[in-house]
Amino acid sequence: MLELNNQYTTIKRQVHTAVLKQFFQDTLVENVDKIPIQLIPKQRTSNRCCIYKERAMVRYRIMALLGFDIETEDDEMKSLSSYVQEIMEEDKPLSPLLTTISTACSSCPPDRYMISEACRGCFARPCLANCPKDCITFSGGKAHIDESRCIRCGKCMEVCPFHAVVHIPVPCEQACPVDAVKKNADGYVEIDWDKCISCGKCAMSCPFGAIVERSSIMTVAKKIKNKDHMTAIIAPAIEGQFPGTLTQIKGALLAAGFSSVIEVSEGAHETCLHEADELAARKREGTGFMTTSCCPAYMNLVDKHLPFLGGRRSSALSPMAYTAMLAKKRNKETSVIFIGPCLAKKDEASALGTIDGVLTFSELASLFVAKGIDVREMDTTDSEDVSYFEDCREFALSGGVAACVSKRAAVGDEISLFQVNGIDRKMVRVMKTWEKRPVDADLVEIMCCEGGCINGPGVVAKPSVALRLRGGNKASRPVEAMRAILKQKE
Amino acid sequence: MEKKEKVSVKICVGTACFVQGGADLLLYQDFLDPVVLAGCDIQGVSCIGGCKDDAMQVRPPYVEIAGQVFGEMTQEKLCKLLQEAIHA
Ligand code: SF4
Ligand code: SF4
Ligand code: FES
Repeated sequence: MLELNNQYTTIKRQVHTAVLKQFFQDTLVENVDKIPIQLIPKQRTSNRCCIYKERAMVRYRIMALLGFDIETEDDEMKSLSSYVQEIMEEDKPLSPLLTTISTACSSCPPDRYMISEACRGCFARPCLANCPKDCITFSGGKAHIDESRCIRCGKCMEVCPFHAVVHIPVPCEQACPVDAVKKNADGYVEIDWDKCISCGKCAMSCPFGAIVERSSIMTVAKKIKNKDHMTAIIAPAIEGQFPGTLTQIKGALLAAGFSSVIEVSEGAHETCLHEADELAARKREGTGFMTTSCCPAYMNLVDKHLPFLGGRRSSALSPMAYTAMLAKKRNKETSVIFIGPCLAKKDEASALGTIDGVLTFSELASLFVAKGIDVREMDTTDSEDVSYFEDCREFALSGGVAACVSKRAAVGDEISLFQVNGIDRKMVRVMKTWEKRPVDADLVEIMCCEGGCINGPGVVAKPSVALRLRGGNKASRPVEAMRAILKQKE
Repeated sequence: MEKKEKVSVKICVGTACFVQGGADLLLYQDFLDPVVLAGCDIQGVSCIGGCKDDAMQVRPPYVEIAGQVFGEMTQEKLCKLLQEAIHA
């Protein structure tokens, strides 16, 4: 996975901010075609072959931000402004959640091992001795790998005393836990939607920015402009993603145009109660382990690749689903917008039908910047009681879900736990063995992202930063109080 | 020898800076050299105004070192600038 802050994320944030700024100034249709040129001026030293290609990439990023599927809807004759006009008329569906830019894809050569300059052609030649396929030969005093016989086991790399063997992966393919990333006949990246579990790992790994999210931020931006009633339901991972406290983040959301804010931790409490009951029943019946069901990428994984786990999943709805119900109960007319670190939540949201939009933290960040909202300037006063669901803010961290469920189990019920902290290829192989050898635990907590949701594909701050900022205040639901303060300011 | 005054370092933690890479700078305890840390007085401060100033030539995140504002700050750049600052 790429380091979170890099040239690509920087330009992405600039593009998003520029588009949203123009949108809120009512000048997007006129100016959108100028944005690629403004962001990539002539004087710029290009990170691609030339500034013109970079500008073309900005154009594609804008299309994805508007919600278009570049693979099927790219018409080079069409101006960006006509795309904008189209989405003003009609919202785009949530899925597919990724789209690929084939002209950005560098069609990285197949995964391979290579002997580098560092090879000293030593006397011991451990590479030769350890290669199970005899594909190492020596010529010109150096080792060579016979590509056609190499099985990519990596033995030679392990044993070379000079670290002369390098492994050159295909980043997107390597990141995908389920082999859903492939190259098409022309050698460019393509996603097999029948296999994809929407984890977002490929998009976070491509060093060329060739796999992009199809955003649904315009749906939200339009509602903000229309002053529609909107409830932001915020994932527990949000704390630490922005400077300031959780209370201040809620204040910033209100300032950005949301009418109300509910913590998804509140729905998580509901999930935990349900899971604790279900677990007790399963233990009584002695049916063996139960898995959590809140991670939508895991849910996809089971549906598409590990169907035998279907009955093992808790029947509890996800925290997002319960929270959406709460939001609708409080106001029937409200549009519910889930804001989280997750891409797979878009799949869950389209299936549920109670969610009107899904934003990532990263998209929210662009919204804040475009609207000139500074989280740290919001009021910090807490109000109301959150004690009954406060612990569920830990849902954002690996281990947190299991802990909250255990806490809600009946006294005397000893629950044994097993954790899946991050799903990669290896973990999928391990999980396959559960069919024959069930896990020896009562509750299996499964998170597709290593470390938990705080390491999801839509985060702004990496976990090491977020963890430092979390728990800064025991914020409650200061929504009413915040609204009063904002009114006064007006 | 007279004791040298600490270099004043203000890391902007306004939202615009934070979300454009400034968050990483908050790990300064981890990535700065202990000698540099001892020679600097580092604070996180609210928006220092750079993000709203159209005349700014450089982009966020901003850091103010001894009164001078630097933009497009990264961990590496900060290490280098502070090394220079404490020896100035
Ligand atoms: S890593 Fe990126 S550039 Fe390389 S093959 Fe995959 S999508 Fe293409
Ligand atoms: S499963 Fe994840 S890594 Fe694989 S294609 Fe889908 S989003 Fe990308
Ligand atoms: S947020 Fe840093 S200068 Fe405004």
